Amino acid sequence: MAEVTEELKQKVIDYLKTVTKAKNKEVAREIGEDKHLVDKAIAELGKEGKIEYLYLGASFIKLKE
Amino acid sequence: MADGETPLLDELEKGPWPSYVKEIKRMASKNAASKDLLGIQELSYKDKVTHWKHGGIVGVTGYGAGVIGRYTDMPDKFPNAAAFHTLRINQPAGWFYNTKSLRTICDIWEKYGSGMTNFHGSTGDIILLGTTTENLQPCFDALTDAGFDLGGSGSALRTISGCVGKARCEWSSIDTLDIIYNLTMEFQDEIHRPRWPYKFKIKTSGCPNDCSAAIARADFTIIGTWKDGLRIDQEKVREYVDKGMDINGLIVNKCPTYALEWDGKSRELKFYEDDCVRCMHCINKMPKAIRPGVDTGATILIGGKAPIIKGAYLSWVLIPFMKMEPPYDEVKDLLRKIWDWWDENGRTRERLAELIERVGLKTFLKEIGLKPVPQMVYKPRANPYVFLK
Amino acid sequence: MGRTDIGPPNYQDMLPDVIKKNYGKWKYHEIQRPGVLKHVSESGDELYTVRVGSPRLVSIDFIRDLCDVADKYCDGYLRFTSRYNVEFLTDKKENVQGIIAEMERLGLPVGGTGNSVSNIVHTQGWIHCHSAATDASGIVKAIMDELYDYFTSMKLPAYVRIAVACCINMCGAVHCSDLAIVGVHTKPPKIDHEKVLAQCEIPTTIQSCPTGAIRRHPDTNIKSVVVREDLCMYCANCYTVCPAMPLADPIGDGVAIYAGGKVSNARKPPMFSRMVVPYLPNNPPRWPEVVDVIKKIVEVYANHAKRYERMGEWIERIGWEKFFKLTDIPFTEHHIDDFTHAVETYRTTTQFKW
Repeated sequence: MAEVTEELKQKVIDYLKTVTKAKNKEVAREIGEDKHLVDKAIAELGKEGKIEYLYLGASFIKLKE
Repeated sequence: MADGETPLLDELEKGPWPSYVKEIKRMASKNAASKDLLGIQELSYKDKVTHWKHGGIVGVTGYGAGVIGRYTDMPDKFPNAAAFHTLRINQPAGWFYNTKSLRTICDIWEKYGSGMTNFHGSTGDIILLGTTTENLQPCFDALTDAGFDLGGSGSALRTISGCVGKARCEWSSIDTLDIIYNLTMEFQDEIHRPRWPYKFKIKTSGCPNDCSAAIARADFTIIGTWKDGLRIDQEKVREYVDKGMDINGLIVNKCPTYALEWDGKSRELKFYEDDCVRCMHCINKMPKAIRPGVDTGATILIGGKAPIIKGAYLSWVLIPFMKMEPPYDEVKDLLRKIWDWWDENGRTRERLAELIERVGLKTFLKEIGLKPVPQMVYKPRANPYVFLK
Repeated sequence: MGRTDIGPPNYQDMLPDVIKKNYGKWKYHEIQRPGVLKHVSESGDELYTVRVGSPRLVSIDFIRDLCDVADKYCDGYLRFTSRYNVEFLTDKKENVQGIIAEMERLGLPVGGTGNSVSNIVHTQGWIHCHSAATDASGIVKAIMDELYDYFTSMKLPAYVRIAVACCINMCGAVHCSDLAIVGVHTKPPKIDHEKVLAQCEIPTTIQSCPTGAIRRHPDTNIKSVVVREDLCMYCANCYTVCPAMPLADPIGDGVAIYAGGKVSNARKPPMFSRMVVPYLPNNPPRWPEVVDVIKKIVEVYANHAKRYERMGEWIERIGWEKFFKLTDIPFTEHHIDDFTHAVETYRTTTQFKW
């Protein structure tokens, strides 16, 4: 599988700026990237403290405030 | 009622069964959060409603699971339990512990939390009940330094659990503890970073007695079984009979498929292997005389869950028999296929069984590439509404 | 920041030597007395287990007490069961009495083996849950005080597994237990329209309802929802996704009781528990109405079931009509299913028992 690039992570962040919360699959669909790769990018962004997880009956991600 | 008095809860200190109220009081005498927990519980007993609210965003860096945010709706009255978050700690497989590890967890929780715990939560984790938002990260760091990690929560793979297996059970056809540990280590990302439509549970039991209730409680159920015949020690059978066991009444006549027959003359228990469905009854009742076969593996079933939303399900047979040898690649591949399909097609909060019911088992099998076999159903359909393509 | 994704400790580091040595080699076991198991290995080694009831919600000092006993008698190892019991494991037969004496000192019951009522699987209730319709730990304590003697003996026809869930989310899936107590709401959600706007996503909230009772507010100026109360069966699924729709109610909340479920494949395949009492009020601290029904069912079962017959197998043999008669529980319209798989439960034969 391709590696996670800084460019991909930026695309994820840019998309998250446009919504209040999102599921990983929706991010992948909206930015037109492979779902597994987006999962990886989101995990990295989480570890970098740039996104956080929200639970409201189901789990979502959002940009960290 | 004077401040700090708990007349209702005090009633639950009486009686022979060990009292959780005594346990909270043990901590309340030295921990302010536990003291407030006791007060909140007493108030719920008086008001007959819960005094806890939905959690907000709490967690540790890099994780979306393992912490349950919790706040009381009476923070002014109970400031020391205003934030009272739970940490789910992934238990060692089989809930075995050395006391050194347990004491370390106790020391960490004494420092960072309320001192109250569940050993264990329903899914299997150690539950550390009640800490502040500020303490979450240092508590987590101390736990990982001690070799422990968080379990699952939210729309993630939940902490995997199962029965005691080969560690202490002669009936286990699969190595449940190794399966749990191996899959848990493989799927750390899936446990810690929720991304799916809803929760997903994996449980395993070593035999069809299913002591971990895997068939009722797991989306993916692994139950040990065998393909060959029972191992019967006729000498030991006779010992049971000689000690007064009513072998016809309690064993032969209770066999659901008439696979056993007691020949009083030759004093031999006859076994019709083709008729046996491996239900465990005779083995359970005569453990010294009858044992499971040696061609062992697992039945894989899917979809078990509680009623929310569309009703409760028991898991359905997906693969009647699969060999279970490390590194369990066949199981891992199957899980990944199922997750991809469910994640792509499932609606928010739709469990796997509900999605399969919505689109049909036939579609599901096609999408993940499995052939239909008769063991998947009790009986074929009775209606003529088939889309023959 | 600490390490991440290290996973749980390896179970192999948690096993006593006698188990490491005989892993996968156990040959048979016997129950020596209630709460004491003896496992024998192909190697001839013996392992003794003392099983002990725990209230599950325990302090760290309780865990330290257990550790002291394990250090003294079990080479520093112990385990827990899926039903929250504690198990002390030793290869020394002479240690069994010492462990039992320590349990007496700590006030912990030895039992939960064979044809007993084992510990009650349960949820958080008012101790920690935002969606609880009842408490869990308190009901468990009240029932186990009453059924204590069934935990420490093995005199039932078969084992009886009881579970408590504080709402119909049923964390821990109590729906296949011999007896299940489930917290229920009986009033529709009370909607706080301002909070809906702030905290809830309207499409998700509408979609959460299994009966389609939730609609957009007819006044388009109010960004909120309304509930058709005639369609609401108080499941609280909407509250889970939208905190502005609480259902908890001091008068209306209570519990329902279910019977006859099992997960084991022994004899008959696994079965769901079925509703036997649709509603009893919350009556803390000891829920006497609930305890009475549970005790009554256990006693009627103990007196009428055949040996090795689980609750559900007994009920199937005698028929539900006879179950309701023997237990003096009224059968009402609420017992007739009208949800998703209802018709499967309608009887299509002339066979019954009078």
